[in-house]
Order: sequence, then structure tokens, then C-alpha cells
Amino acid sequence: MLNIARRPSAHLRWTTTLLICRPYSAPPSNGNIPPWRPSNVLDEWVQREAHPISLRQLTFFGRTLNESRLLSSANYVRLELPTRIAHRLRNMQTLPYSALTNEHISHVYEAYYRAFETFRKVPEEHLTVIPRLAMGILEIQDSVSGDECDRFMNTLLRSRISRRVIAEQHLALNETFHSPWHFDGKKSAVAPEDEFVGEIFLKCNAKEIVEKCARRANELTRKAYGPTVSLPKIVLQGHLDTTFPYIPSHLEYILGELLRNSIQSVVEQRGSAEPPPIEVLICEAAQHVIIRVSDQGGGIDREILPYLWSFAKGPRRMKRLKNLGQVPRLAATMQDLQLPPSHPDSTAGSGEKFGSSLASLSGRPPDLRLGIGLPMSRIYAEYWAGSLELHSLEGYGCDAFLQISRLGNKNEVLSTRATMDAV
Amino acid sequence: MLSLRAVARHNGFPLPRPPLSRQSTRHIQTATVTDSDIARLASQPLHPLTLADLCKHGHPPLSKQALFNSANFTLSLLPARLAHRIQSLRSLPYIVVANPNVHKIHGNYVHSLSTLLPYAERRIETLQDEIAFTAVMADLVQTHSNTISILARGFLEARKYITAREVTRFLDEHLRARIGTRLIAEQHLALHFSSRPHHDLHSSSSAPSSSAPSSSSSSQQHNRDAEESSYIGVIDTALKPANIIRNCEAMVGEICELKYGVRPTIKMVGETETTIAHIPMHLEYILTELLKNSFRATIEAGMEREAIEITIAPAPASEAQTKTLKNKNKNRVEQMAHDHVGVISNYDQGSVDYASGSNKPDQAASGNIRALAESTPGVTIRIRDRGGGISPENLKNLWEYGFTTFNEEEINEKTSSSAGGMDAVMAGGGGPGGGSSLAGLGYGLPLGRAYAEYFGGGIAVQSLWGWGTDVYLSLRGVGRV
Repeated sequence: MLNIARRPSAHLRWTTTLLICRPYSAPPSNGNIPPWRPSNVLDEWVQREAHPISLRQLTFFGRTLNESRLLSSANYVRLELPTRIAHRLRNMQTLPYSALTNEHISHVYEAYYRAFETFRKVPEEHLTVIPRLAMGILEIQDSVSGDECDRFMNTLLRSRISRRVIAEQHLALNETFHSPWHFDGKKSAVAPEDEFVGEIFLKCNAKEIVEKCARRANELTRKAYGPTVSLPKIVLQGHLDTTFPYIPSHLEYILGELLRNSIQSVVEQRGSAEPPPIEVLICEAAQHVIIRVSDQGGGIDREILPYLWSFAKGPRRMKRLKNLGQVPRLAATMQDLQLPPSHPDSTAGSGEKFGSSLASLSGRPPDLRLGIGLPMSRIYAEYWAGSLELHSLEGYGCDAFLQISRLGNKNEVLSTRATMDAV
Repeated sequence: MLSLRAVARHNGFPLPRPPLSRQSTRHIQTATVTDSDIARLASQPLHPLTLADLCKHGHPPLSKQALFNSANFTLSLLPARLAHRIQSLRSLPYIVVANPNVHKIHGNYVHSLSTLLPYAERRIETLQDEIAFTAVMADLVQTHSNTISILARGFLEARKYITAREVTRFLDEHLRARIGTRLIAEQHLALHFSSRPHHDLHSSSSAPSSSAPSSSSSSQQHNRDAEESSYIGVIDTALKPANIIRNCEAMVGEICELKYGVRPTIKMVGETETTIAHIPMHLEYILTELLKNSFRATIEAGMEREAIEITIAPAPASEAQTKTLKNKNKNRVEQMAHDHVGVISNYDQGSVDYASGSNKPDQAASGNIRALAESTPGVTIRIRDRGGGISPENLKNLWEYGFTTFNEEEINEKTSSSAGGMDAVMAGGGGPGGGSSLAGLGYGLPLGRAYAEYFGGGIAVQSLWGWGTDVYLSLRGVGRV
């Protein structure tokens, strides 16, 4: 039985973490255990099923906005969010006991519980959720199996993405609805395809996004390695005019991570010599778009290959842990690293206006290796039923394959009740 | 595949006459195989075989003692492996094994075991014995040369009684094991021929002439100093993949020209001078199959003007401790074996006998994996075509034995006659897979992968549906010998 009286003051704890940002140290052995709470309220919400949606539904819904639609969107959000949070809380509750004695995991658990209780996110606090989870996972490696950790992380992050999509979409629609030039039932004067519908950009152009991510990645690399570093050229091939509906911040994150990895490995492998180009191929088929990023950066080290897609790392664990510990500090000082809002490539654009933690991760300096870029990107890619695969030519380079559905009619991939309660 | 003839020539010897021709089987001693023999032998655990194992008797020409060691080593491995195969066959449904084709294969294995039983308690210690034993090995290789096409026919005929999934699972194990058995036997044969004490290796002047099957090994021999052959039995320690690719391209290109009237080209990039230590005939089989797929897809998509890009990327010899991978999680044997380069397992080599129950992964976890020695440099070959890719439906069945996108009539034609249409076109006889036309029994990919994985490599296929396909073939060598 847990000692309820020892519950620390919630408010004090998260404030402390953000402002003081203590350096990484070994976690205390107890005192972090979340209290035992009577769980009837939670049980009711856990019983509910989540209702997944697709990009297409979001689009159609948002295209002709009127008050009743906005209200129904609000109600959907009001019910979906706590349902999904409740499911994740139950996931955490059923982790092995030793996992929750870890201070990072219990911190996240507390944050989720607070969110659940207030039905409202506390944005600043949640900026640190991803790095904290990642740290917690690394720390509990000895007591919880790698597989279980990965399953847990995947489930949590998928759900997190889903809640953000729903909430931010609603907020964006709300903003549109209340903007001075909108009136009920209006059809857009601009060609409908050029619009944003909430957060979804209907005509995401792969070429533009790749070029934008490439510029950003190059900027960051120059900052890290000095302005004289020779950067590999990024060559685009294939169907360059392809467009599809997507949430730009998701795509930018994935492509950003892939290009970063490629550029960094090429720069580090080839040093000062003329670096071989990075080839990006865009090819479209009826139902999907595939983007292949091909580099000659030396490939993936044999010793980390098994852990490529895992949050539970192998030989580089300690280093990653230390780096992850620096991200919360980063979230607060992000303004220094980011491009000013006036810059065309600034992340302070659509999708980032709600303080997404994605932006803080994307804007991190290149030498801060977190080791979660690939598994995170995969979760984002798979979220709308796409995929991300990597093939390494050891000693030569890497090919990454990102596949996205073009039609927007694939439902979100969530963890369902059935998989949750399965032994 | 390289015949004995070719192997002998590569080592500078003409093929000797009897006792190695087929007629002399009657001179080979046999003993009756009893059920208890099979049970006893099948209960012996199997261990993964590495290329280093096959090379450990030394560089030919071997001394007499080394030759005896090789023979005894072979003797220590084969009977248990054959027994496992027999048991595995016997646990297939009765009606399937009753099929004449499958039954023939069963009979072949029993026969081969019967030729090895007389050596049960003996060691080979005289030249006479060694020559007799070599005859046994030749008989074994000869007997089992058509296993794949016969089995394929048998399973096709018996498809009402066994699911495709069960067939794949059986064949995956069986064909991998077959790779090993053949290799062990052929290796000893090759070592024997390259070591005949009264032939002088260095004085062989004439290189093999006209009717040698085209293969990278002969051209390599031409260029090599006569005193130093890179061959150790069937293993070429200085195999240049670029040469094999060129030869396979020539061959497959010819078939295309004949069948389609057009011929795709390849473009080799990367480090084309790379060499590794590997088995030429295995690599030839794999590359032929992969190029067949790429060429056919390219032609059918009308993209024959776009060269197929082949990248050769040498993997560095590293001091990475592959052993740490092995110890990480003993329960994940099978998954590990396929995910990680640098580890080979009994699963990879078909030595997990699901049917008979011995050597199951959970029972013999640590003994079933061998980390490849440090400093075993390898190579990755990437083949990129613009043939339109593989559709998602076909992708599901890619690794099934017997799945092919050719139509039913062609398959029946292929299985009912032994030398149908396209087979006649192929010079040099069928490869180890037995299939020789552009799309055969649907064995090319899974068998190619079995060959690649046998020594710790692999094949990965990435389809860009609507554009083309990228295939990644990774191979590990034997390292410094």
C-alpha cells in the first residue's frame, strides 16, 4: 500500500523542474511513488472506446464551418481527450511497479493525472513530456524489458499525437470561425485546395517541404560545425509536383529528422572532402506518396543497429540520457536557437503556434544527440497509416523510405481497448 | 552451379575417371538404416557452421593428415544432419510423403545415410579409406542434385493436403539445411581434388579452355599468380562480386534478348574492386535470381533504357563485439538471427528441426548461435531498378516458396516436363535451384535469401510501388584466413 501522506506538492514539483533544471543524477530510490487514488472516475472513462478519425473527416468537417459544427467539434474534443488520457493512465498503472518508482515516469504520470482531472492541458509542463518519458525509459532498463518499454512508449506517444491533433484542430477551426472575415456557411473565395482546413494543409507539396527542411537542417549544421563546413548538396528527383493533404508540422518533423541524420553522418564521415550529395526521391502512386532519402554517410554502426527503432537504447544509453536531460532547459531557451518569426522558414507558422514540443525538439542543436528521432518519426509516419523504413549499407550509407497515404482516408492508428487489456 | 568438373579445373586438375562416376555406386558400401539409427542420430544437437570451419584444415594442397582431418570433420557432421532431414520429412502428413516425388526425396536421404553408416565407429586414417569416402561424397552430391525441382513438383501435386504456409515452413528449414549438407560434401571433394599428392599444382599450365562454364572464378584464376590460388575448396577468398555481377548480367541479358527482344543494362557504382571471401556458386545463384527479377520488371514496365543501378559497398572489418548481441536476450533467438548482421544461428541454417522437436530455439538457445569472428569484412550490394515496384498484395507473398507472378499454365508446363521450353535455352545447365528460365517456380527469392543468410548475410526488399524496387543483398565473408 502506498503512503498517501507522502504525496509531494504537485505544483512545486513541476515548477522546480522547469526553472532549476537540475543536471542529471541518479534517481532517488523511493519517495516518488504516485499515491493510491480511488479510481471509480477513471474506471468510467477507461471503459469508453476512443473514436479514431481520418484526415479526410477532419477536412470535410472543417471546410464549411458554422456554429453548430464548431460546437459539435468542441464536444468531440471534450469527450475524446479525457477518454484517451484515461486509457494512457491505465497503461501506466499497469506497468510494473518498479517503472513508476522512477522519478521521470512518475512525473509524467502525475502530469497526465492532473490533465485528466482538469480536462485541460498545461502547455509548458507538457513540453517536457517526451524527453522525460525517454529518460525514464532509459533509467528503468534493468527492471522492465526493452520490448515492453517500447510498446509502452509507442502507445503513449501515438495517443499524445492524437490528442494534440484533435485539440489543435479544434482550436484552429475556432480561430478561423472567430476571425473577422469568416461568416457562417461561407465557402472559401480562394480555391479550396489552397486552404488550410484548421491544421491540415490540403496541398502539402513534398518538394517544398523537403527544401524547407533542408535549409533548416543546413542552418543548424553550420551553427554546430562552423560556417566553413562543406555541406552535402541535396538533390531532388522524381515527381516533384506531387501534393497531398497532411499536417505540415508532422511531415516537417519527420523529414527534418531524416535530413539531419543524413547531413550529420555525411559531414562527420567525409570530413573536409567534397561531400557526396544526398538524393531525395519523391514518387507518387494512386494511393500513396513515397519519399526516399539516400545518403553516403557511412551507414549505421553494427552495434546500434538492433536498437535503431527502440527507445530502450543499447551501448549509447548513458550519453543519450545525459543529452535528454538538457532538453527541458532547451524548451525554455528555444528562442535563441530558432529563426526569427519574420524568416520564411521560421517554425512560428501554422502548426507551431500552439507551442508544440515538436518544434523544441526540431530546433535542438545538432550535437545534442537524443537517439529518439527515428522511433519518433516512425510513430508520426505510422499515425496516419503510413510507414518508415531504413536500410543501411554498412560502411557506405543509408536509405530511408517514408510512405504516406495520399487520400487522407486512413484512420488514425491508435492503441485500442483490446490491445490495452491483453496480457 | 559449378560442377565437380569445373571445381577440379579451377584447381588445375582434369576430372579423374572412376571411382567417381555414377556407375560405380555399386562399389559403395551401404548398411541398413534402422529407425533407432535415425532416432539416435537425430537426437544429436547441431551447431551452426561458419565459413571459417570449412577453411580450418588449411590452404590446399593439403597434407595427407589434413585431408584425413577434413574427411573426419565431414563425417562428424553429416550423419546427424541427414537424420534430422529424414525425421523432418517423416513428420509431414502421410499423404504428402506418399506422393511419389516427395517419397523419392525421402528415399534419397535414407540411401545417403546408408552409405555413411559403415563409417559409424571408424575414423579415416588411410589414403584408401579417404578415396572411398570421397566416392561416397560424390555420390551424395550427385543423388541430391535435383531435390528442389522434384520437391516442388511433389508439393504442387499434393497441395490439397498441406497448406502453403506449412510448405513454406518445411521448405525454408529443409532447403537451408540442404545448402549446408551440400556445402560440407562439396568442400571435402574440392579439397580432395586440390590435394592429390602426386599431382603438382604449380606445374599446371593450361587454363581451362573452351567448354568451361562461364564464371568469375576462371577469369580470376587467369590473372592470379600460378603459385597462389585464392581458393580453399569451393570458397574463393578473393571473390570479386563485380565479376560475378557482370557474368550474371550477361547471362540474364541473353535470355531477355531471346524472350523479349530488348535487353536492360546495368550501371555499377561504389567500390567495384571490392573482394570478399565467399562461395562463388552461391553468389551466382543469388545474383542471377535478383537480376532476373529486376530485368523482367524493367522490361515489362517499358523502362529498358534506364540502367539498373548496382552499388557495391564494402562493409568495414570491425572489432565490434557481436557476442554482446548474442548474450543480450537469449529468448529472442530467431528474431535476432534475422535482424542482426554478424550473427548466424541454427535457424538460419535450417538446423532447427521443428518437426522432430530437437534443437528447438527455446531448448538450445545459446548453443544455436555463433557470432562470426571479429574482422569478417563483408559487402552490401544494392540493386535499384525502375521496374514499377511490387504491389502491396504481392509483397505479402514475396518470401513464400512457390509464389510467382507467372500464370498457372507456365507453372504446370514447368513442373510436368523436366526440360520445357525456356530451360533448353539456358547454357550451362540449371543452377542449384533447378529453375533456369526467367520466372520459374517462385523459389528464387526465398532460396536466394536462404543462401545469403546462411553465413550471416541477408536480403531485404524495398518496394516503391509505381516507381521501382530497391534490393539490398548483404554478405559476410570468412575474414582473414
